[in-house]
Amino acid sequence: MIKNEQDTNVETPRILEGVKFLDLTWFGAGPIAMRTIAGMGADVVRVETEKRPDGLRTAPPRPVNATGYNLSGYYNNFNTDKKSITIDLTTERGHELGMDLVQWADVMMTNLTPRGIRQVGMDWETIQKVNPGIIALYQPMQGMTGPHSEFGGFGAVLGTICGINGLAGFEGNPPVGVGTNYTDYVVNPMHAVTALLAALYHKRRTGEGQMIDMSQLESSVAALAGPAFALANGGEPYIREGNRVRYAAPHGAYRVRDNGERGDRWLVIACLENQQWRDFAKVAGHVGWADEERFATLADRKANENALDALVEDWARQQDGEGALATLQAAGVPSGLVLNATEVLADQQMVARKYFRYIEHPEAGLRAHDGSGFKLSKTPAEPQRPSPLLGEHTYEVATDILELMPEEISNLVVEQVLF
Amino acid sequence: MMALEGIRILDASDVIGHYAGRILADLGADVIKVEPVGGDPTRRWAPLLPDVAELESGLQFLLLNANKRGITIDVTQPRGRELYLALTKTADVLIDSLQEHEAVEFGLTADHLIEVKPDLIHTSITGWGLSGPRANWAYADIVGCAMSGTMQLVGLADGPPEQLPDMQGYHTASIQAAAGTMGAIVYRQSTGEGQRVEVSMQEAMSIAQETAMMQADILGTNRERGKPQFGLDLPGSGLYEAADGYVFLIASGLAGSGFPGLVRLMAETGDEEDLFEEPFRTFITDVMGTTQLRDILLDPGGTSSPSHRSSEISHLLPHMDDVVRKFCKKHPKSYLYEEGQKRRILVGIVNTPNDILESQQLKERNWFVDLEDTKRGVTLRYPGPQWQLQGTPAQLRRPAPMLGEHNNEVLSEIGIDESELSELVAEGVIAG
Repeated sequence: MIKNEQDTNVETPRILEGVKFLDLTWFGAGPIAMRTIAGMGADVVRVETEKRPDGLRTAPPRPVNATGYNLSGYYNNFNTDKKSITIDLTTERGHELGMDLVQWADVMMTNLTPRGIRQVGMDWETIQKVNPGIIALYQPMQGMTGPHSEFGGFGAVLGTICGINGLAGFEGNPPVGVGTNYTDYVVNPMHAVTALLAALYHKRRTGEGQMIDMSQLESSVAALAGPAFALANGGEPYIREGNRVRYAAPHGAYRVRDNGERGDRWLVIACLENQQWRDFAKVAGHVGWADEERFATLADRKANENALDALVEDWARQQDGEGALATLQAAGVPSGLVLNATEVLADQQMVARKYFRYIEHPEAGLRAHDGSGFKLSKTPAEPQRPSPLLGEHTYEVATDILELMPEEISNLVVEQVLF
Repeated sequence: MMALEGIRILDASDVIGHYAGRILADLGADVIKVEPVGGDPTRRWAPLLPDVAELESGLQFLLLNANKRGITIDVTQPRGRELYLALTKTADVLIDSLQEHEAVEFGLTADHLIEVKPDLIHTSITGWGLSGPRANWAYADIVGCAMSGTMQLVGLADGPPEQLPDMQGYHTASIQAAAGTMGAIVYRQSTGEGQRVEVSMQEAMSIAQETAMMQADILGTNRERGKPQFGLDLPGSGLYEAADGYVFLIASGLAGSGFPGLVRLMAETGDEEDLFEEPFRTFITDVMGTTQLRDILLDPGGTSSPSHRSSEISHLLPHMDDVVRKFCKKHPKSYLYEEGQKRRILVGIVNTPNDILESQQLKERNWFVDLEDTKRGVTLRYPGPQWQLQGTPAQLRRPAPMLGEHNNEVLSEIGIDESELSELVAEGVIAG
């Protein structure tokens, strides 16, 4: 594991150089959006408090025996390139300082509920008075209006409401979901990034700021809308059928031979076209399968999918995963192995493309970080600087942006407005 | 005015990129879907719209290509390639999903596209990206789920790993691509320069491993599927069966009114059993609503809380969980969800597609939108936008194009006249 060479330097242009973002988000969906924005070169100032710190700061994974707010990999992966100032916005003076930051900012984002937004006095009417040209993205779970707008929850709660639990898995199994707070990591943060950049584009054309009401529920359903859209319009109803899909067969995860290192090893195969099915049968050593009438077309294979899957399962059980994958890929059959996180970190394609970024953090040491989900050829958006320690930039932001004098800062610390 | 009014986008992607084009079209860009002469394969993918020609009935296609115009071009023919490049010259953004070997074969490599149109934003969305040893490997949605590490986390402990539903591999790649493209559009606005935006589905999904990557990096261990999310099985947290379905609770810890709030809700219907009595009463107020419980359980022999050692509380937790389980099983899921949330308990409801169509919250916000599709003779109900840009609202302006519907319109925009159009049809370069 070596630290990445810096692939940008002072001359490398960044998309959002000089654009100022006020980050009032916490947990997953909001911070990841702001991390992406910070990776594009924006100046992102994150307001936190010690009284009620971002829950991710103390969440696992952390090193054994870790204490304090700065060692969680969960937090540290999602807040790169930002500055952290600790202000208690619920105090009168704290709120004034918050409004100074609103005035400073081009864009503000929060994922608090409307109730939380009122508590910190950051509702649209208030901030617009202070900064009429501001862009503000509000990202509560269910939007700023409607009977459920005050409903609270984390990604795991939203996962059930937006329907992913009800879609994943096998009919008859409980709807346990997908094992993660799935929509927190790409769907909601990256939808938010797109919305913010679109608003910024519009502002640069017209001078107009605006409010963005982003319901995480709507954003999530939009990315999972196939089954509801089909149901609303007379299509065949959705069936929870695990790894099967209507548009391909065979399609699934098939257990391969235990190689002694890791028993739980699965090969995924997806034959979307008849030719891929014939190629699969051939390289699997069962060219006769492709001649069987019951497997001739996609409709035939879907009609006889249990029999088909039984054959593929038996075949896969005798295969070495890596070997079978190489064989299938050489024949152009869409296929892969179900990798665990250790294997993803070491995966030759990920390593060759330098997806993961190794960044030195003052307390956590040299750690792996997710890179950018898109590679930009002229203006890289990869994370560069480690996530801030809690309040790491309080003095700097108080001095440079809030223009407070050292004595005033000390007084505010004593008064527990700043930490 | 819509945010991307005046931006012209050629969307020549396969299904992996359809949602990216849709997002940018919803923002107001003029997105032209470019399909092969035989049509995009997803036009025939089930589920299908009943009573409509098969080629026009694939509901995934109709969903992901609404708000776009549509043309057909056979880029494997020289004239088709010329046409494609001529259109590229008129576009601000080109989205494709050609792998390197295809781009070389068709003479449409990223380098060549930039030569043809130096300020082009070229967005490439593929399974593995355009570089690296696997750039030319075959892929499908489930392959992205598998090789990004996300699939390893989905499923029951004794079952197979499961894909994420409804093409999340493809959609994740598209969502990342739309964000990257939007960044490139902003950069082009201030500098006039284009660039390449490159998305690998494997990379796009990797961050959705949640904490698994960081756990592997920091602790050297791998998260397993079918285990409590962060390794802790806490009462009042997780999936619970209701009388008519399921709910999901996060009632341990600091958020909302927590376990004390849950006990109060149970008491309203007389279901709290002995949880108001000792030793539960003190334990629930002193420990359940704090981070202490997690610390104790994560560090069983530790000194974090001398008064509540792991061994001393281990017999309390199963009973508390049991009371919650019985309570949930007795009541309808909507009661638990609505009444729990009103009392600031973090409760989710396991919604089915039908529940989502009937959601009061989505109805109040007029989220689903009906749009007439005159060509197909139907009115379809569409999901609404991902966000409400209040100054520049999204609009659902047109249904997905019929095959080649805008051939004449779009090609005449680049100066191709009627007789040339007929030639192109006759030669099979565009669909007739």
